[in-house]
Amino acid sequence: MTNEKISVEPLVLTKEYSAPRALVFDCWTKSEHLCNWQFPMPGFRCEFLQDDIKVGGSALHKMIMPSGGEMYLLTEYDEISPPDKIVFRQYDSNAEGEKLPNAHMPGWPKELVATVLLENSGDGTLMTFTWEPLNPTAEEAAVFSAAVDKVGGGWGGGFEQLAAYLATV
Amino acid sequence: MARATTTCDIFNALAESKRRTVIDLLLDKELSVSELVQATGWNQPVVSKHLGVLREVGLVHEQRAGRNRIYSLNLDALQPMHDWLEQFSEYWNRNLNQLDDYLIRLQAGDKK
Repeated sequence: MTNEKISVEPLVLTKEYSAPRALVFDCWTKSEHLCNWQFPMPGFRCEFLQDDIKVGGSALHKMIMPSGGEMYLLTEYDEISPPDKIVFRQYDSNAEGEKLPNAHMPGWPKELVATVLLENSGDGTLMTFTWEPLNPTAEEAAVFSAAVDKVGGGWGGGFEQLAAYLATV
Repeated sequence: MARATTTCDIFNALAESKRRTVIDLLLDKELSVSELVQATGWNQPVVSKHLGVLREVGLVHEQRAGRNRIYSLNLDALQPMHDWLEQFSEYWNRNLNQLDDYLIRLQAGDKK
C-alpha cells in the first residue's frame, strides 16, 4: 500500500417525490414510517427494537424475511435538522446491536456516512442522498469509487423509470 | 513472491485515480504507451508504472507490436466487482422506490 492521496467520489443519488417535504422528512426519521419502506424488498416485515432517532442516538431495525430469517440494521444519527437535513451511518448488525463486518464484499467501507437533503420542488420534494466512506483505507476507497461509477450509471436508468411511473400517477 | 491475484489486489490497483483514468481510456480502444502518454499528458515513466500495476492484477493485457507495446483491457477481471455493485445498486434502488410507493399510499389516506 502506498501513501498516494486517495480521492473518493461521493455517491450522489437524487430523486423527486410527489409529497411535501415535511412528510418525506418524517418518513426518514420516524420508525413507524421507516418500517414501511426501508427493507430489502416487498414481503419483508420490519420491527424497531430501538428507535432513539435523534442526534447521537441510534435505531436498531429488525427485518424479517418472507422465509422467517432475520437481518438487523443499526443506524447511528449524526444530524437531524428539520426540515431539510439528516446525516446517519448504517451498519449490518446482530440482534444485540453490535456491528458486523460487511458480509457481502471484502473491502467494502466499514463506515459510510449518508446525508439526506430535502428541497421543496413545486408541490413535491427533491431529495439528494449522498454517501461517502468515513476515513477509508485505500482498499475501501477503491471499492467505493468503483461502486460510485457503476451505480451512477445504474441510477440514470432507475430515475428514468421513476419519471415514467410518476407521469402515470 | 508469486501468489494468486485476489479481488482485493484488484481493488488496490483501482485505488489510484490515475489508474482509473487509464482504464477509462482503454475502455474505448487498445492503446500504446505513447498514445496513453499523449491522452493523459503524464510522462512516460508515470504511465508505465500504472500500466505495470494494472497488468500485474490482470486488468490489462500487453501485446508487443514491433517496437510498441499495446495495452488492452481485460474486463473479465472486473466481473466479481460488477456482480457486487449490481446488488448494491439494486438494494438502494428498491429502497428509495419503496419510499416513493409508501408516500403515495400515505397520501391516498391508506395508513396501513
